[in-house]
Amino acid sequence: MNTRKKKLAIIGNGMGTCRLLDELVRRDATNRYEITVFGEERGGAYNRIMLGKVLSGESPDAIVTKTPEWYDAHGIRLIQSTRVTRLDTLRKVIETADGQSRRYDVSILATGSQPLVPPLEGMRGEDGELRSGVFVYRTIADCIRMREYARSGDGAVVVGGGLLGLESAKALSDMGLHVTVVQSSKILMNAQLDEIAGEMLARQIDRAGIFARLGRTVESIYGDERVTGVVLDDGTTLSTDLVVLACGVRPRVDTARASGLPVNKGILVNDTLATEVPGVYAFGECAEHRGKTYGIVTPVWEQAAVLADVLTGNQPQERYRGSKLYTRLKVAGVDVASMGALGPEFERDQVIQIVEERRDCYRKLIVRDGVLVGAMLVGNTAATASLVQLFDRGEPVPEDPLELLCALRAPAPPGERVVCNCNKVTEQALCDAIAAGCDSTSALGDATRAGTGCGSCKGELTQLLTKLGKKTSAVPLLATA
Amino acid sequence: MSARAEAPVLSDALPPFLKLSTGPVKTHCPYCAFQCGMTVSPGPTDGGELQVRADEEFPVNRGQMCIKGFTSAALIDHPQRLRTPLLRGEDGRLAPASWDAALDFIAQRITELQKKHGAASVGTFGSGALTNEKAYLLGKFTRVVLKSPNIDYNGRYCMSSAAAGANKAFGIDRGLPFPVSDIAETGTLLLWGSNCAETMPPIMQWVYEQQRRGGQLIVVDPRFSDTARSAALHLQLTPGTDLALANGLLYLALEEKLVDRDYIAARTEGFAELERSVRTSHPAFVERITGVSIEHQLRAVRLLAEAESSMILSGRGSEQQSKGSDTVLSMINLMLALGKVGKPASGYGCLTGQGNGQGGREHGQKADQLPGYRLIEEPEHRKAIAAVWGIEASELPRKGKSAYELLDSLGQQGGIRGLLVFGSNVAVASPHANNIKNKLAQLELLVVCDAFLNDTTEKAHVVLPIAQWAEEEGTLTNLEGRVILRQRVRPPVPGVKTDIEILCRLAGRLGASKGFSFASSEAVFEELRLATRGAKADYSGIDYEKIRAAQGVFWPCPAPDHPGTPRLFAERFAHPSGRARFHAVPHRPAAELPDEEYPLFFTTGRYKEHYNSGAQTRQVAELLDAKPEPMLQLHPRLAARLGVVQGDAVLVESRRGSVSFAARISSDIRPDTVFAPFHWGGKQAANLLTIPALDPVSRMPEFKVCAVRARALHPTAKALT
Repeated sequence: MNTRKKKLAIIGNGMGTCRLLDELVRRDATNRYEITVFGEERGGAYNRIMLGKVLSGESPDAIVTKTPEWYDAHGIRLIQSTRVTRLDTLRKVIETADGQSRRYDVSILATGSQPLVPPLEGMRGEDGELRSGVFVYRTIADCIRMREYARSGDGAVVVGGGLLGLESAKALSDMGLHVTVVQSSKILMNAQLDEIAGEMLARQIDRAGIFARLGRTVESIYGDERVTGVVLDDGTTLSTDLVVLACGVRPRVDTARASGLPVNKGILVNDTLATEVPGVYAFGECAEHRGKTYGIVTPVWEQAAVLADVLTGNQPQERYRGSKLYTRLKVAGVDVASMGALGPEFERDQVIQIVEERRDCYRKLIVRDGVLVGAMLVGNTAATASLVQLFDRGEPVPEDPLELLCALRAPAPPGERVVCNCNKVTEQALCDAIAAGCDSTSALGDATRAGTGCGSCKGELTQLLTKLGKKTSAVPLLATA
Repeated sequence: MSARAEAPVLSDALPPFLKLSTGPVKTHCPYCAFQCGMTVSPGPTDGGELQVRADEEFPVNRGQMCIKGFTSAALIDHPQRLRTPLLRGEDGRLAPASWDAALDFIAQRITELQKKHGAASVGTFGSGALTNEKAYLLGKFTRVVLKSPNIDYNGRYCMSSAAAGANKAFGIDRGLPFPVSDIAETGTLLLWGSNCAETMPPIMQWVYEQQRRGGQLIVVDPRFSDTARSAALHLQLTPGTDLALANGLLYLALEEKLVDRDYIAARTEGFAELERSVRTSHPAFVERITGVSIEHQLRAVRLLAEAESSMILSGRGSEQQSKGSDTVLSMINLMLALGKVGKPASGYGCLTGQGNGQGGREHGQKADQLPGYRLIEEPEHRKAIAAVWGIEASELPRKGKSAYELLDSLGQQGGIRGLLVFGSNVAVASPHANNIKNKLAQLELLVVCDAFLNDTTEKAHVVLPIAQWAEEEGTLTNLEGRVILRQRVRPPVPGVKTDIEILCRLAGRLGASKGFSFASSEAVFEELRLATRGAKADYSGIDYEKIRAAQGVFWPCPAPDHPGTPRLFAERFAHPSGRARFHAVPHRPAAELPDEEYPLFFTTGRYKEHYNSGAQTRQVAELLDAKPEPMLQLHPRLAARLGVVQGDAVLVESRRGSVSFAARISSDIRPDTVFAPFHWGGKQAANLLTIPALDPVSRMPEFKVCAVRARALHPTAKALT
């Protein structure tokens, strides 16, 4: 038997890898693999979703999920600050930017995504780098640079009114900057919200002190060394000290391309997260599965679990079948949830909408063939928890889908209600006993056992006696303690 | 058989002081870990039914008791009670036999099996219903007489996850680290996976008192249970997601700056790693997994953190999972981070299930433990116990198989060939019950010591009738860690023997009478005291008289003049550093999740009227009348989908078995979950459906989560309209 451990190389050390490592460790993968992780950033892994904290001034440590010591302690080799340029998939060698090469048996590309940077006029300086004052919002380093640059009283223009755009806008506004969000769509968070929801959100953004220019794009950025303003497509000029580019992300596929792996939007993988090249897998935001790439974390975690099952042989027949899209967050103090379809897609789709304009609450369900295929909630998100589970599992919705929006709990039918819990005596049984002549709690106790256990129902027994008894003899309320 | 020297055993005659007394005797209920104090008097006529009353003076139940306690005397003179040993004859039927014949048969078969297959081929299976003395003696008998490593007990199905969690975090495992009366004084009480209004009704007086004093109650349960009805906040989570929820609450505590950094620095270790690990438990993920809204998560954590005192008490709902011990750790993490553990009326505790679930796990009934909560793999611990038992440490067997694994090995290559069962109905109580029943049938020797026939005795070669609670004395350790004394009310009915007598007589027949000559339960306790001296669960300062005088004594009690220890952790934790330990415990899914084929969660639990496998309570007419059969609780929405109405037969199938239940339609349960109680055996056994996935640390089976499908057994026209 071959007992040599296989070399497993993971390229990228983002949130996907962080989860994959947990999944691998839980399945005792280090018994059969010698695992090496290549990370481009310095340090261990962190939770990118919490980047807003760093922008708001917290220490980067506050969002770290794995320190370099964690890797050591679990027998995993972490190579920090190193970019992998190419895989030689024939010789099974990894080549890094610093000219090193390392052998692998199995490699996993987890290169994530990178900010989409539109080619705006004046965006780059003469050196080709982003002009001073222009930022993207992707890494801890980006956040630290931005927060060191920004001062209260400065103007900031955030290009993009999606999730990240609004998050950075809020953080900058909280730091005392004058913030304008420029969004090409007429709808904020248009990937998650429809027009009604978008309008409600815009009102809340406005109340939070952030300006939004909807249906507008930035044409150019001007300034000398530093940014001093932007020009919008309608010719408006906004003076500004900062420009944040939050125009979305695209899969990082440069390493995959250089390695000759099949790439479309992302690196093409099948249901086992394998590329067509033996020994090479890809998952996370860099991967394209059944025509879809994902830019949120849950699908990535779902892929990590399948990949770990397959690679460790724990459940080698496990397959990834795609993920459902769900977003849940608080934007500028507003609770928002959105899942699946934003609107009807077929003639037969049923749409239920409850709009409470004055409370800025909005709830919308889209039902197709008796199954919830989409939902959107703004302001009142109490039903989200049960809706998302229904959506995830594709369980049938009730005939009247409105039931889903209210937590109905039918009271027990009269008579069946249990008054004495210890002895399970129903209200009906007590009424019968009172009708038969019981006139005190102790008589009820003798006849039905009610009140003879923990005694906590004695007050209620007295009430029943008062209500139904022929004569209301003063029944001393026994102390229950 | 030739005459031989029998070990002196318990005399059936009552001690003189009891003979004289005709008044009420103070003792304790035979059922759950609350161990209500009760007074029992002989009936009006000699031989009349015993009169049971709740003891007004006992400080735990304070004069209250549930219906099971009130009716408990019905079992003593029950017509179905076994009064003679039964031996399975050539015709395959159990037939009456003399004690000598039965014990000789057992001894001979044990000797043969061990000769052929080795000492480990014979094992014992104990119970959380056994007194401390019996549990201790069973452990000693297995290790010293049988010389077998294989002993475990049904407490593995009960308390093992809470025990494992508490040991890891605190370095010690005592169900409640404080008296139950502290419940009344806490600001916020969170009952996690416990429906104690049904399972332990008299405890509710403390909960109600807590509420009267202005305290808040939170209940975490997939069902809107009787307990949840009393709560200010009910978190109706998806089965098997307790761990995710607890991690999520900690995330929010960090986010909202509710953690107590000074306490963490002064009294704990390992927080940094936990903090990093919990950063992936964002409330939105937690909401999606658990079905508990972010709003409710936030309210819960604020109630826990902002109250001057708060506590989490867990029950089997959260513990009987394949990640039960991690789930317990996640609750402890939360309470430590909030700085509550060890403060007045605060912290984490578990509500022990079985009567002596606590003491049963302290005195060597567990495969990996020796008396006093010592560990069988720890050289110093082995030495200490070997010295008390008068053997060499090297003669002590090593760690044996855990409950389910032990039962799963029955009759298998390298497994158990002979099994002695004390006070447990394993055929009903184990997950994947069909498998266990088949395995029991493959044994070459199955001895069951019980007062009634049950599902397990169906496969037994020998059934030994035993004395019941009111007929013998002995100590138990209740859910608080209070050692209490059950006193004898009257002599055993003719024809039965106590478990202690049985063990001593068997030891004699197996040539090991030395160390097994106990004239009374008290004599066994005296040896137990010696054996626990200096151990974690130190009973050495406790004696029967002290228990009588003080209404029970809390362990540890290391010296005769020591008052016992009602509260732990005020100064230090039991790890050598004196600090509590945090553990990073990421969420993982249940072993089996609903899918297209089996789309529903199945979970199990209890009825107030019945106790465990129902072996006792189903014999009590009053209890059986109140709850004659198990019913399947299902949501009206699901019922409509299945086309069933109230009372219809619903066939529930899992990958392991199928059971038909009558439908009990109720919006108190989640629409994705069905519930049935596990108190019935045979074709009505809920455990035919459950999955034997085990917790990697505690070896607790996942009783509370598996996937099933359901359909109407006889679809009717009325249901389809």
